[in-house]
Amino acid sequence: MLNPSIDRDLKKGSAELLILSLLEGQARHGYEISKLIETRSAGAVRFRVASLYPLLYRLEDRGYLQGRWVEKAGQRRKRYYRLTPEGHKVLEERRSGWAIFVEAIRQITGTEHA
Amino acid sequence: MPDWKQPVRDRLRRLNLSPAREADIVEELAGDLEERYRDLLAGAVPAAQAERLVLEELETGDALADRLRHTRQPAAREPMPMGSTRKGNLMESLWHDAKVAFRMMRLRPAFSLAVAGMLAIGVAGNAAIFSIFNGLFLRPLPFASPARLVDLDETAPKWNLERVSISNPDYDAWQKSNKTFDGMAFFSTGNGANLTTGDGGTERIKLAEVTQSLLTVLGLKPLIGRDIRSEEDRPGGDRVILLGYNLWQRLFGGDRAVVGRAIQLSGRHYTVIGVLPREAMLPPDVDAWTPLAADVANGNSFYLSGVGRLRLGVSMEQARADLLRVHRNQPWNSGHVTSPIVGPLRDRYLGDFKIVTRILLGTVAVVLLIACVNIAGLMLVRGESRSREIAIRTAVGASRGRVARQLLTESFAMAAAGGILGVALGKLFLMGLVSLMPDDLPKWVRFDLDTRFVLFCIAVTGLAALLFGLAPVLQAATVDTRNWLQEAARSTLARGKRATLGALVVGEIALALVLLASSGLLLQAFRKVMTQDPGFRPDNVLTFSLRLPPAKYPKNEQTLAFYTSVLDRLRTLPGAASVSAASIVPLDGHTGYFFVAEGGKQFGAADPSPVVLHVTAMPGYLKTMGMTLQAGREFEDRDNLPAAPKVVIVNQTFARHFWGYADVVGKRVRYQGKDNHDWFQVVGVVRDIRHAGLDREVRPQVFVPYSVAPAGLTFAIRGGPGVHGLVGPAREEIHRLDPDLPLYNIRTMSERLARSLWIRRAYSWLFAAFAAVAVLLAAAGVYGVISFAVGQRTREIGIRMALGARPGQVMRGILGQGMLLVASGVAIGLIAFYFAAGLLQSMLFGVSPRDAATYGAVVLGVALVGLAANYIPARRAATIEPMRALRSE
Repeated sequence: MLNPSIDRDLKKGSAELLILSLLEGQARHGYEISKLIETRSAGAVRFRVASLYPLLYRLEDRGYLQGRWVEKAGQRRKRYYRLTPEGHKVLEERRSGWAIFVEAIRQITGTEHA
Repeated sequence: MPDWKQPVRDRLRRLNLSPAREADIVEELAGDLEERYRDLLAGAVPAAQAERLVLEELETGDALADRLRHTRQPAAREPMPMGSTRKGNLMESLWHDAKVAFRMMRLRPAFSLAVAGMLAIGVAGNAAIFSIFNGLFLRPLPFASPARLVDLDETAPKWNLERVSISNPDYDAWQKSNKTFDGMAFFSTGNGANLTTGDGGTERIKLAEVTQSLLTVLGLKPLIGRDIRSEEDRPGGDRVILLGYNLWQRLFGGDRAVVGRAIQLSGRHYTVIGVLPREAMLPPDVDAWTPLAADVANGNSFYLSGVGRLRLGVSMEQARADLLRVHRNQPWNSGHVTSPIVGPLRDRYLGDFKIVTRILLGTVAVVLLIACVNIAGLMLVRGESRSREIAIRTAVGASRGRVARQLLTESFAMAAAGGILGVALGKLFLMGLVSLMPDDLPKWVRFDLDTRFVLFCIAVTGLAALLFGLAPVLQAATVDTRNWLQEAARSTLARGKRATLGALVVGEIALALVLLASSGLLLQAFRKVMTQDPGFRPDNVLTFSLRLPPAKYPKNEQTLAFYTSVLDRLRTLPGAASVSAASIVPLDGHTGYFFVAEGGKQFGAADPSPVVLHVTAMPGYLKTMGMTLQAGREFEDRDNLPAAPKVVIVNQTFARHFWGYADVVGKRVRYQGKDNHDWFQVVGVVRDIRHAGLDREVRPQVFVPYSVAPAGLTFAIRGGPGVHGLVGPAREEIHRLDPDLPLYNIRTMSERLARSLWIRRAYSWLFAAFAAVAVLLAAAGVYGVISFAVGQRTREIGIRMALGARPGQVMRGILGQGMLLVASGVAIGLIAFYFAAGLLQSMLFGVSPRDAATYGAVVLGVALVGLAANYIPARRAATIEPMRALRSE
């Protein structure tokens, strides 16, 4: 059963999971992350600047991410985020937890099969 | 190109970030916005619309700054004001937890009610017993620096007397030669007086005769008027009186002009010199103080109590050693018979309660512990259904700490409900207990609520919540998110949990058994006390006391004549079957003398048990009291004639003690002392009377006729069931002889007997009640755990029954499993009790702490209750339908 706490945790947790997943392979900067989320979800999920960056900072504070300024020739410098080892571990956990959650929801909402 | 930095900066301003940090954020966000703007322009969006869209990125339901605040701490350049956002956030989060907790409680009313109810039972007992303990032993005495006040007395182990009181020369020597006291005061409470009240009536009041220093030692000042002067505290000093606060209020309505007025006490005039402050309740329950005015050279009797104020920094041991030195240096103490007692002041008045209240406190603590163990078990069982929820919450991002906090908040919320209910119940329980207490507790004992009580209740409830709240938290920590769906992991978890639950149940059964066995022994002891032969028949005997003021009745012949005519008149009352009187009736005090028996054993002052209970008795007293003559005769009127032969009656213990056998009629005794040459012939031997109480030892006792030892008398009227109704007619008859004499100390002998046993009765039944609660709680625990196990094993049982197991076999299996827990608990409890029983020794009245019958009954009782608790789930298991059990998975 979903109690109010789960609802709250869910919103927060799924957003975090999305960000952690996107950073798994490579370091990305904020705008890139936000674009990827939008395109991969075909526009269904969107983060505004006002939501995205606080989330990034929080994950950084917790030690899951590390941000670093990178300067490339002919561009303004950008802050790139990559996963820390701790971040990798959390991502792993969150991922399987998510699978359970999806499975649980499926069991509840899915059609019965004999 | 628009400036993106300024709008970002505007939104960050409130955060008070460090300049470097702020610049960082501004650069990053502005860079992002700029890139978006370019992409929009590249997508052919008009510039104005693109700018608007980009700026919308900074708007959310809540402002950007608020979002950032949750993630980035501002540099603490200024102290955060109270109630600032960070704290507010934590509070908000706790409030959220609390709301969820209460919602969870509402969702599972039966569970929450069970938890709160069990906790309430545990807390109620603790609250009530602690209140009593607090009132008796923790509240400071109402005197200045009460910790430095000590009780002074003398002890005489050689006379087999714990306390003998203090003699005049001893107190004088202690007072003059000690080096460890700031002050000492002494008082005698043996006396009352007939006070003539304003309306011409009289009432009996309790007087204390005190040394001049008492108020100073207690650190008190008279409310009005002055203290006693030293010249008044000498033989022949002026008769002055300090009124107690209550007497002053009652008699003079609090009139401050009372100082200097004269009042009449037992026919003598006393001048009121002042009023004592309300707190001056030492000695307890006296109405007024008069100067002791003792002749310190007269050392024949031990009759004083004392209180001393230790010098700053002096310990009780140092004071004791100091007084012992002074005491031994006095020539009259060369026999080393008596020695000084220096002890806590409170113990003198409340010492009887000390062991009892401590043991009861321990008992209620055990009951609470059992309740907590039960609740922890309940929570573990419920945790099974919650582990799914916890797994999901951890999966979607809640940290373990967050989940633990939520679970603890739920525990505390239920504890709070249980605690409040428990304190309310405890208050009712306390009111019941207090109403059962006799009215002779010192007046400074109060049981109302105080800070200490509130703190205690909060501490106990909080501790309980921690105890049982930890169970689900620890369990949540072991919930394995990844394997949660796998059947194997779940059953392993359940197996581990069943072991934990089993251990909890074994523990609570052991604790319950210890309580039940203790209560069994105490009830055995109580029964043994109740079946003691008191040596008199207490039913339907009314008693009351009369004292004749020496001013009005100066000669012994006058008092004898008066008392005799009172007896004659009382005998005419309808319903009075038999009437007599004695100086002390059973259960109403003690006067001791030393005796010498002709041809019997000689007891020196240093021999054990030479102190003889000494009672002046009027003719017919033994018959009226229902005492039994073993040999010889009662006193008769002729024994009080001036030239009558001197006679006494002794009890069996006296006869055996002095002569070694009981048939002593005709033998002679005399008072010890070189001036006492008169021999008294024993004319009767009376069967032993338990004078000091059914659970006290019998001492040697001598009855003498009134003419030998004139004294104030307590009258006894034996009548029918309504004997208490004779008080009025008796008072009328007596007032016809002398209208100024108050009757006091009015009680039936049954009442006296009940009062003498009230502490034993109270703690025996309290203990039994707590033990019963403990056993029921433990049974509930057994029931819960076995039910849980059966629920867990439904599928397994279904398979076994499908394969041909008979219901009886299944039931035996479950019962066996449950009874194994019960048996383990009983075994551990027995071992624990074997070692703990010694603590009760002093309350057992000779019942052995290893009493086999009690052990047997207790083990049987716990086993039967355990069997009953196991039977219900076992029966449910036996009726499982195999097909349904298998389908349900």
